[in-house]
Amino acid sequence: MITYLTRRLLLLIPVFVAVSVVIFLILHLIPGDPLDNLLRVGSSPEKRAEMSARYGLDRPLVVQYGIWLGNLLQGDLGTSIASRRPVASLIGQALPHSLLLGALALAFSTLAGVALGVAAAIWRDRWADRLIMGGVLLGSTLPSFWMGLLFILAFSVQLGWFPVSGARGWESLVLPVLTIGLGGTALVARVARVAMIDAAERDFVLLLHAKGMPPGRIRLNHVLRHAMIPVVTILSLRIGWILGGAVTVEYVFARPGLGTTLIKALSQHDYPVVQACLLMLAMAVMLGTLLGDVVQALMDPRVRREAA
Amino acid sequence: MLLNLRRWMLAAGLGVASLGLTGPAAAQETTFVFATSEVGVSSYNPIPATLTNAAFSMIYDTLVVQDSDLSYHPSLAESWEEAPDGMAWTFHLKPGVTFHNGRPFNAATVVKWIDLFRGSENSYMIDAVASVEAVDDLTVRFVMKNPDPNLLFNLSSSFMGIPDPEAVAELGEDFGITEAIGTGPFKLESFTQGQETVLVRNDDYTWGSPLSANKGPAHIARITFREIAEDSTAYLELKSGGVDALMSIPTDYLGEIKAEPELAVAEMPGQEVFYMAINVAKDPFTDLKVRQAAALAINQKEILDNVFGGYGKEAHNFLISALPESKLPADADISYDPAKAAALLDEAGWVLGADGVRAKDGQRLSVALWTQSDSIFRRLTEVVQAELKAVGIEAKITTFDSSTIKDEFKSGNQQLAVRSYFWPNADIVDWFFSAERLGYPNTSMFNDPKAEELRVKAMTGSATQEERIANFTAYHEYVTRQFPYAPIYQPVQNMAYNIDRIEMPAEIHATQITGVVMVDVKVKE
Repeated sequence: MITYLTRRLLLLIPVFVAVSVVIFLILHLIPGDPLDNLLRVGSSPEKRAEMSARYGLDRPLVVQYGIWLGNLLQGDLGTSIASRRPVASLIGQALPHSLLLGALALAFSTLAGVALGVAAAIWRDRWADRLIMGGVLLGSTLPSFWMGLLFILAFSVQLGWFPVSGARGWESLVLPVLTIGLGGTALVARVARVAMIDAAERDFVLLLHAKGMPPGRIRLNHVLRHAMIPVVTILSLRIGWILGGAVTVEYVFARPGLGTTLIKALSQHDYPVVQACLLMLAMAVMLGTLLGDVVQALMDPRVRREAA
Repeated sequence: MLLNLRRWMLAAGLGVASLGLTGPAAAQETTFVFATSEVGVSSYNPIPATLTNAAFSMIYDTLVVQDSDLSYHPSLAESWEEAPDGMAWTFHLKPGVTFHNGRPFNAATVVKWIDLFRGSENSYMIDAVASVEAVDDLTVRFVMKNPDPNLLFNLSSSFMGIPDPEAVAELGEDFGITEAIGTGPFKLESFTQGQETVLVRNDDYTWGSPLSANKGPAHIARITFREIAEDSTAYLELKSGGVDALMSIPTDYLGEIKAEPELAVAEMPGQEVFYMAINVAKDPFTDLKVRQAAALAINQKEILDNVFGGYGKEAHNFLISALPESKLPADADISYDPAKAAALLDEAGWVLGADGVRAKDGQRLSVALWTQSDSIFRRLTEVVQAELKAVGIEAKITTFDSSTIKDEFKSGNQQLAVRSYFWPNADIVDWFFSAERLGYPNTSMFNDPKAEELRVKAMTGSATQEERIANFTAYHEYVTRQFPYAPIYQPVQNMAYNIDRIEMPAEIHATQITGVVMVDVKVKE
């Protein structure tokens, strides 16, 4: 297990370098200049040259990348061009909000997904099954930006249950969590349903029935437990996507977080901030995938043996 | 079981509702939403600020303030004189003014503040100022390097709100984030970047400007400004009663807001102009006649009525109509005239073809029309495209996002581009048509020796305000007659508010919702 983990961690290094190159290149190759947004009517061309030099934007791209990566390895994310504040402090403020939102959304999709999946499996091929799976599919395919606005219209404007937007108290978390969580719910529900049906057809279940165990107990104690293996796998793989899902939803609900920070920085071409945000998102996916694989290895002795 | 569940959900719902919607019940408390263009301020320190929002003008006072007609009025300066040669300005300061921390505001404050301003991001605003000296405790003199009649405009801008220079020095980087000390009618209570700014009334405030009805402390005791970048979310907050006012609303929402009985719109003169830049360095627009024809093809009235629902004004030259420099001779203004456009194109040798597109020497009159991806730009540009087609110019639309397009302009490959700017001063003509800034901001690639001569005269050769107006009008007129652009539309600025909660002053004597306006705003209880 230790060797497996070490190998996986070492493999992250080239991936990290590749990701950093891609992030840096994409940003600098798309047209746009942060100074266009900073300089206001009346400032002179000399001022522009001075600012360009101050932020190192006049250096060759390779040199800019080298400086960025060098600083990054020393834990220095740089300074925001638009706000001139340390990027680390901007990210430090934003990240906890996104993590909370993402974690709650993951928890929601787990609970709702498993419950709906199990229900659909129990009423397999009956109207309840079709209703649940149809509803879940619809919910997961609608764009979250639009879903968010629909939820606001229904639950905030019409019913007045939750605040429209903002980040004050737990009640402002409900709709964003619901919006992000829906996609995961659909995934979990589908996997849980198939796993339940699959497990219910195994020989050991037939044996339990033959022994006269009540069907409710068989489902809860044996079938469900067996069916959880693929569910846990799919969930752990999804951990990495927690932050990504928050981007548009934070914007719609005017919540602080990595997404709002990223969108604002993108519109200002604030390279250091965008780079840091994208790096966070990429690292979350990388570490999430690693965690998913490890969890899977721990749960499944076959994988564990292979890994060792 | 099902019934129980329903009852439980209902109870939970009610619980949430009572938690979530306990609005500001206490006296004179309200929540506003900043204009979407003002979202993302990183500090309330005006000296190095690159972006300001409405709260700056409530925390900090300026020496002078501007009325909605763009005239200048006293604020921290009670009166002022300009030397006849324009080489010095004397400001007489209001007595008895104190900062939020109790320190007095006087001539020494102004001297220290201008020192801090030098070397900052915004120092160009005082480039023409050689030195500032305290004549006595309440008199301060600006000695000029060269006359700058625009000094009053700069002094009235939110970047030149006056902070306590000593607090700036003491707090360093934290100034404007943890604390912001000004002399304005509101004090900063808390600032959460990207989220909200809470201001509380300055109870010592007795130096309101003549533009406010109320010269004393504001009526509002506590005001929360929220930052919401998405227009539809902000609108739904207003509609659901979550906030009391939005400081900007897109024109698209006006109809909907006016249909809601509890919502109202307060209009302020616009500071924005939509226009079509014409690249004079790219064929076929190297020909003045073709440029003029393209400009005359734009139907300002049709666009005002059909694209903007009749809200706002037609634009007939480059400047907002509140500016005196926008008053050009009638024949210099550019207005829709399709017959003349057709005649000009005929004269230039572009003959109408069977497909409705003109051609000359086998070359079709087909050009690129650039625009931004924002929905209002896309809609407007499609109408412009149809209007150009009506006189025989085929325009192919290319859409860029708003920050990418600036970089694309630097290539100089654009032919036509639908653009807008937001700026209440005639020096915008210099910004967009100066030969020093070809590509971007000078997207028209306009480079004309006579225009440069007039430009330099307007920018640096005016001693008094009157001279500056005359010089800028002449420069503006000359540029306009060369057709490097076609004027389209001037929006009005709108704010929307809930009439059950907010009472706005009958007339708004400011260019935007500033501290001058806010001291007169009341919360209905």
